[in-house]
Amino acid sequence: MSKTYFDETHCAIGHPKSTFMQWMLTIDHKRIGLMYAAVMFTFFFVAVSMGFLMRLELFAPGQQFIDGHTFNQTFTLHGVIMIFIFIVPGIPAIFGNSVMPLMIGAKDVSFPRLNWANFWLYVAGCIVALSSLWGPNGFADTGWTFYAPYSLTTNTTVLPLLIAAFMLGMSSILTGLNFIVTIHRLRAPGMTFFKMPLFVWGIYATGWIQLLATPVVGITLILAIMEKYFGIGIFDPAKGGDPVLFEHLFWIYSHPAVYLMILPAFGVMSEIIPTFSRKEIFGYRTVALSSASIAGIGYLVWGHHLFTSGMADIAKTVFSFLTFFVAIPTGIKFYDWVATMYGAKIVLSTPMLWALGTMITFVIGGLTGVTITMIGVDIHLQDTYYTVAHFHYAMLGGVVFLMFAGMHYWFPLLTGKMYNEKHAKIAFYLNFVGFNMLWFPMFIAGYLGMPRRYFDYLPEFQIYHQISFFGAVIFITGLIYMFVVLYKGWRHGEPSGTNPWHATTLEWHLQSSPPPLENHTKVPYVDFNPYEYKHGEPVVKFDYDTMKRID
Amino acid sequence: MSNRLQGFDTMATISATDVDQAFWINFWISIILFLSVIGPMVYFAWKYRADKVKDEDISDVTHNTVLEILWTLIPTSMLMVLFYFGYSSMKVIRTMPAESESIVVHVEGSKWKWRYEYPANANGYVHKLGGAYTKPVIDKNGKVIKEGTMGKSALYVPAGTNIILKMTAPVGDVLHSFFIPAFRMKEDVVPGRTTKQWFNTDKVGEYDVECAEYCGTDHSYMYSRLVVMPKDKYEAWFNSKEDTPKGNYLTSGDAVLQRHGCKSCHAITTDKVLVGPSLKTRRLTSEQVLNVINHGQDKLGYAMGAMPAGMATGADAKAIAAYVASGMKGNQPASFAACSSCHGADGKGQSGTAPSLVSYDATLLSHVLKHGKEGMIGTMPKFPYVSEEEASAIAEYLQSIK
Repeated sequence: MSKTYFDETHCAIGHPKSTFMQWMLTIDHKRIGLMYAAVMFTFFFVAVSMGFLMRLELFAPGQQFIDGHTFNQTFTLHGVIMIFIFIVPGIPAIFGNSVMPLMIGAKDVSFPRLNWANFWLYVAGCIVALSSLWGPNGFADTGWTFYAPYSLTTNTTVLPLLIAAFMLGMSSILTGLNFIVTIHRLRAPGMTFFKMPLFVWGIYATGWIQLLATPVVGITLILAIMEKYFGIGIFDPAKGGDPVLFEHLFWIYSHPAVYLMILPAFGVMSEIIPTFSRKEIFGYRTVALSSASIAGIGYLVWGHHLFTSGMADIAKTVFSFLTFFVAIPTGIKFYDWVATMYGAKIVLSTPMLWALGTMITFVIGGLTGVTITMIGVDIHLQDTYYTVAHFHYAMLGGVVFLMFAGMHYWFPLLTGKMYNEKHAKIAFYLNFVGFNMLWFPMFIAGYLGMPRRYFDYLPEFQIYHQISFFGAVIFITGLIYMFVVLYKGWRHGEPSGTNPWHATTLEWHLQSSPPPLENHTKVPYVDFNPYEYKHGEPVVKFDYDTMKRID
Repeated sequence: MSNRLQGFDTMATISATDVDQAFWINFWISIILFLSVIGPMVYFAWKYRADKVKDEDISDVTHNTVLEILWTLIPTSMLMVLFYFGYSSMKVIRTMPAESESIVVHVEGSKWKWRYEYPANANGYVHKLGGAYTKPVIDKNGKVIKEGTMGKSALYVPAGTNIILKMTAPVGDVLHSFFIPAFRMKEDVVPGRTTKQWFNTDKVGEYDVECAEYCGTDHSYMYSRLVVMPKDKYEAWFNSKEDTPKGNYLTSGDAVLQRHGCKSCHAITTDKVLVGPSLKTRRLTSEQVLNVINHGQDKLGYAMGAMPAGMATGADAKAIAAYVASGMKGNQPASFAACSSCHGADGKGQSGTAPSLVSYDATLLSHVLKHGKEGMIGTMPKFPYVSEEEASAIAEYLQSIK
């Protein structure tokens, strides 16, 4: 039995003997990916608990469990964790790290030590963020957007959160840089950009957003700190500033960040659909280039968050018009995926179920996004539950669902084991039903005028909150069920073999599963397209010792 | 469950109708786009499921230029339609009327109350209203002992008038957003800036106002209420020094008629027929009005429906018949009084209530007098959401203007 990356590793400093220190100091991209996953899902469940606490409070009008102030801290904690700690780093940090180098035939990322430092910067950021919980005046109650002047005037502990968001952003910038360099420099010989798997395209487009957009939010947070603690007037009109400026600066980053979250997720979808259709993807180039164009257009649309901010009408019109152009490449991707399924042989394994379920939830998330791109309609729906439902459909029902899809897809690759398919499917259905029941009623409540971030509400909205609550119970049950199934699979699952899904891309052409420390034995020569199938089987086969084609 | 948010369904402003129209156009286009993706997806997942497809039958199609162009251009054109309606509904909300033709009310949002300042009235008095929403009182077990109220902080405006809200927050305060769900409009209230919204509504009534931009601990209680009053009631209050309008400005019969939109179909003070008959009739009792409001027009006794049998009998009936049949020339018989209340003193009818008798011959007339006659006017729809108190108010009012 050959050694896998669980057995041996390279370390940033020295050659520690203890397994624990080997993990702490590891610079192996696969281990770092797994450690990101461990930290992220821990925080994910903290944030899910916060979400559930809010649902519990909102079950009935009036105050039951927590007061208004605590509620505000709760949704701030929920938002900060979900956005800055979980979804933004999410897929790139977990799968970009653990899978992307394998897909391009690299032995690791370009800067493994930087990767290691980034992980620990990320962990430090998480700790600083949480330290705010024990701050002198309690956890921040600003919401994850830190809108000025509220964040500048509140007494709660905002500083650690701003610093944490800055650190997490720094980690994100450097990770993006690392991936861009890796993709440019470490692709296997012969692998041109249009021979890269589409997940790599997603990570590549994301890398540029991380690199170019994140500094803006970093600067914004620094400005907020300078204003709050050093009295320099930038956003607070009391000091001669302008609060709307903060909104602009904040969304110049945070809107591209939305595409930063979704593009790698689309990449996961583009891997899963052809694999489980046993067929080459439809319109490879359009799928790849649509990622790039979404990343590009994504910089120019931040103003659609400001339709009711007092921004000029002409600016609203331009931002609305540009925003519609994000929907077009996104739509094309979906038609390409569906067309891939035409005339295919569709294997409804768990990853495919997650992918198809996500198509439904993300199309709803996307189309309701189109609703609030319409300026007049947004003037009504802005800051209502409609918006809340929209971004949960897009972020959770899009990004996180595809992260789960990827988890089930690459699980055998990274662990060498297979989970119980039957139970994994039950978990999917629980999640899917619970998710829709939790968020769909919010579209209706929002249209009818339920504002977001209300801890108490008028009695007419009770029915929607109650349906949501029961949806939340089912959804959380499904989440726990899913993680138990995966954990059991890892501990007690059957060995999966190297390519259980009959996939074509390079990460499945390894001599062992889990992969060895330095991945492929030899760097393969790539003179084929990423998804070549014939009669339902991958065309390209390798001799795993020499990595020469034998088909 | 219906939406009890005050006035949500009234479509009281053009912004509300425009935004709703844009919303529903978007809704149906979204359904089409949704089905265009999910329909084929579900169908393919079923049709090409693994156990039905032989490996050698798997297609290797990866391009179809015509389809690709179609699924780019068609959704794009749909999106441009949506952009247009988003833009046009925004234009309606954002195109301010001239201030000279409007009432400009200054709105100040601060943690966590709304305040309104009016222009000076004829006596130079400036109304300053508003304040915080009174929170509900809740006992230890979370049971609501006393409901919260918004009345204190209401913004009073006249119906049928352009209202411009000039909004700001004090420097040192935070962002708020003045949201009137019923009118489908909101705009942030920004410290150090002045933002504007406007509306014009004919629908007398009360509308909830919410704060839609997160502003801290009591964000969930930053409610207010907008009260649209009949113009004369508003004027009376505005030119007084009263803090808030006194009296039954919203529950008087006239206001209720206006709130429920009765006035858009029925003339009240004239005999003119709009969509429905004039309500200025002398033959309606409170019970009958109640009946129509509760059940719709269903061939009531006489007015607005069928003329009942037995309005006049015997010799009276004959005298009337002769008089009417003669073209209503000569002396009017005293018994004609029974007719004139509906058909008018001259017998030429009362628009919308009863036809002119001039052209009736005696035979027809006595037949009608004996057996009654179905009305000519179509069915009036039900108005189930007019409460009993409101219906009584309408009836009393109609009685009073006889």
